[in-house]
Amino acid sequence: MESLNFFMSINIPVPTKDIYRRLGYRRGITQVNDDIKREIEDAIEYALSLIHLTGAGVRIPIEEIGQFKIVLSKGIAFNSSGLARMLKGCSEVLLMGATAGKDIMETIESDSKNNRLTRGVILDAVASEMVDASLDWIVDYYNGQLRRENRQLTKKRFSAGYGDFLLENQKVMYDVLKLGTLGVELTESCMLVPQKSVTAVAGIMG
Amino acid sequence: MNKNKIKNLFKRKIVVLDGAMGTELQKRGMPAGVCPEIWCLENPHIIEKIHEEYDQSGADVVYTCTFGANRVKLGQYNVSTVVEMNRELALLARRAVGNKCLIAGDMGPTGHFFEPFGDLAFENAIEIFKEQVRGLLEGGVDLFTIETMMDIQEARAALIAIKEISDLFTIVTMTYEKDGRTLNGTDPVTALITLQSLGADAVGCNCSTGPEGMVSLIAAMKPYATVPVVAKPNAGMPELIGDKTVFTMGPSEFAAESSEFISIGVNAIGGCCGTTPDHIRVLKEAVAGKKPVAPVRKSVSAVSSSRRTVLFEKDRPLYIIGERINPTGKKILQEELRQGKMARVRQLAREQEKAGANLLDVNVSVSGIDEEETMKAAMNALSTSSTVPLVIDSANINAIETALRVYPGRALINSITGEKKKVEKLIPVAARYGAMFILLPLTDRGVPETADERKEVIRSVYTQARSYGFSKDDIIVDGLVMTVASNPEAPVETLKTLEWSARHFKCNTLLGLTNISFGMPQRKWLNAAYLAMAVGQGLTVAIANPGEEEFMNVKVASDVLSNRDKDASIYLARLAGSAHDEKRDSLQKSTAVVGEIYRSIIEGNREEIESILEQAVNEGESAENLVNDRMIPSIKKVGELFDSKEYFLPQLIASAEAMKRGLAYLDPYLRENQSDLKHKGRILIATVKGDVHDIGKNIVALMLNNQGFDVVDLGKNISAEMIIEEARQNRPNIVALSALMTTTMVNMKKIIDVARRAGLDCSFMVGGAVVTASYAEEIGAAYARDGVEAVKVADILIRKARKK
Repeated sequence: MESLNFFMSINIPVPTKDIYRRLGYRRGITQVNDDIKREIEDAIEYALSLIHLTGAGVRIPIEEIGQFKIVLSKGIAFNSSGLARMLKGCSEVLLMGATAGKDIMETIESDSKNNRLTRGVILDAVASEMVDASLDWIVDYYNGQLRRENRQLTKKRFSAGYGDFLLENQKVMYDVLKLGTLGVELTESCMLVPQKSVTAVAGIMG
Repeated sequence: MNKNKIKNLFKRKIVVLDGAMGTELQKRGMPAGVCPEIWCLENPHIIEKIHEEYDQSGADVVYTCTFGANRVKLGQYNVSTVVEMNRELALLARRAVGNKCLIAGDMGPTGHFFEPFGDLAFENAIEIFKEQVRGLLEGGVDLFTIETMMDIQEARAALIAIKEISDLFTIVTMTYEKDGRTLNGTDPVTALITLQSLGADAVGCNCSTGPEGMVSLIAAMKPYATVPVVAKPNAGMPELIGDKTVFTMGPSEFAAESSEFISIGVNAIGGCCGTTPDHIRVLKEAVAGKKPVAPVRKSVSAVSSSRRTVLFEKDRPLYIIGERINPTGKKILQEELRQGKMARVRQLAREQEKAGANLLDVNVSVSGIDEEETMKAAMNALSTSSTVPLVIDSANINAIETALRVYPGRALINSITGEKKKVEKLIPVAARYGAMFILLPLTDRGVPETADERKEVIRSVYTQARSYGFSKDDIIVDGLVMTVASNPEAPVETLKTLEWSARHFKCNTLLGLTNISFGMPQRKWLNAAYLAMAVGQGLTVAIANPGEEEFMNVKVASDVLSNRDKDASIYLARLAGSAHDEKRDSLQKSTAVVGEIYRSIIEGNREEIESILEQAVNEGESAENLVNDRMIPSIKKVGELFDSKEYFLPQLIASAEAMKRGLAYLDPYLRENQSDLKHKGRILIATVKGDVHDIGKNIVALMLNNQGFDVVDLGKNISAEMIIEEARQNRPNIVALSALMTTTMVNMKKIIDVARRAGLDCSFMVGGAVVTASYAEEIGAAYARDGVEAVKVADILIRKARKK
């Protein structure tokens, strides 16, 4: 098993189109005037000053893939037929996680409480898209390394709570990725705090 | 091997590098998952054969099989004999090719990021690489190659490691993503500027992509390269065939696509993943007899951050160095620096970058702190949060050196004076890290009053800098601004120094502009006037506050008048829009006056809804009529626009917030007239226990409130018991529940079951990202997708309840 890798400052281009889409924008249909466009741009700029993207990743060998269960080394196991199907043919998995940090969430909550909900929903959309894009960044990082081994990651990835990969698996992800190092906590209901935090599993093929 | 011999080789021909190692080893039996270095030592005949074949196919340079032979990577296989392993693999390469071929000690990434981008200390990285370098030196390599680097900081660490214990020729190649940048956002020119100034003897790219995709990266670098440029592309893009990753580009196609590199001036070319000895053979034939294009420059006047380069070129708009990261007179910043905090430093950086600063001056000198450590922390903090290059501003030589070592770019030192200690100690430090520096014509005797005295200091410092390899492109002369308040002749002498430096000495120039007005009232006018005068005398860079509007307006105007902003595009972008804004603002005010309440809510005009309503009330409109006839129809219209997707979420919320402010404004009038809005019904709303997501719930509450419902918002993470208790007390018509997770959604059913057993007859409405209409039906609740739908569903539920 490779050692756990921490990324303390993930820099990515702003996924503006994705942010607009998340806010419900539909090209050719939604009418956006200059005022709201400026307000959105200012809010995106503000969000970027609050978001601090960090992440972690680790490669783990697969010992066994059954129909409903995947056993990794060091006694880690996941129960999910969907995940098992995705990992068929893979000899390793990549577990990864990312967070946008707590400053952005504190501001979103403050905006929600203090009559700045318009800005709050934009900050929320920016944080959600940036943290998803962080996982894409981590995937690119590992694909760059795997290229030299003539291997690559699966295009799909699974997050806890997706299909039959139950949210309870978040605990395993949290522990293995040592997300506490990045300032992330896990609640009893398996929610990551700050909320703009995500984990995922991808397979390593080839 | 003597570095000059290799430099001469690059002058004589286009150097051919070898091809892939990893894919060749796999083809010849290396199993997946093993350590390639260990396997090679266990199967020396196989690796020797690969080296031989590359040699025989015409490679001038073969790379040792030590890509992952560093402590971190080898540690994953419990191997700690780093030096020995590197030595043996280098000796093995030598046995294979003898002296016919050059042997490059190959160093790849550790797989970790180093501070400030990762969790490992930068000095650790240097030590890790030094260990590998020692082994390769013992193995007799002729040169080094640092390759497949994704992170400029890791590339710097490896390069510093080599330079500190060896003087062999060093190639550094980075790997780039589809967008033409590394994962950490470094573009090829920025990587080039940083690495060649730090001492790389050749710079380029490897891996990343096939030949076609790499041409643009090399083409971008060549105009700014003072060293040879190198390309080592893959055999096309990998394809997944079955469960195997395969590179399908054959040798002829590879060579044909690689010919483009020759026309753009590549100096060394080879192959990376998927290439074979046959690829190299055909490549060798393609470059045979072709003359290499020498670097077009001997020096380049540029600084870099990890993500951006600033080139100091003549006739470009004036560059601004933001001056505000300086604790002098800033108590909050001083206190934060004493506590080791960087939040204010980051904020000042952001503000200045947004205001148009091209570079940021960083000064952290506060009494009572360890300036070296603080400067290092500031470099790390700003390297990750700011994109513009940094200027290291300190009188402490150790602090400057510490900053230069860790800074992931090419920095500008503020400054090196004519003082003996500074010249003797700082010029070598600047040379070691390849920094540019500001030449400030002070001496041990103090400030030279006249331009003639300053010219002598400039000439003297430059002469000494030249002996360390500096050229005029590497320095920026500071004209030395002194306040007009203490010497009325001072501004003129500075302008004379400036004019001589720009037009006769022919180097870039700089002024710390705001010094001119120190001690004078209304400083901004002096600063702006002096700026315009200085631009007229050829000023290149100003240290100033980019947030000062008058100053920046004069700057863009001066750029137009001195033909540096050739089509006035920057000037127009900054200033043409503001006239339009003023007109628009006044138009808005006049339409507000005539009471466009409906339009204000449609447009989400939160700022002016209250003044518009005030006008309407003053004109005799009743509050009740305003609400019923103007405001409620407008918010309904907004809902329709949202449903049809002509409006999206920010517009919906902006309108809802305008409505909310309007209702709050009219509330006292409504009460006064005893015409409280008849509430349509009471709704209790909460996010269930275990769930702290509430932005969706807040939107729903706002929409319901605006549409005349009395909303009691319990907040988030609310237990079933509390919801039931509040329902008993408030007797709502509807209880609305929100949940975002599958684990918390189950609480909704629990709440409904308990409520029914307790005899509560209210309706339930549920929503949230994981909640579906079928789940809602299953648990006996109505479903609402969003705030607009929640209003409709609430209306229906209340009508139904009333019919009963």
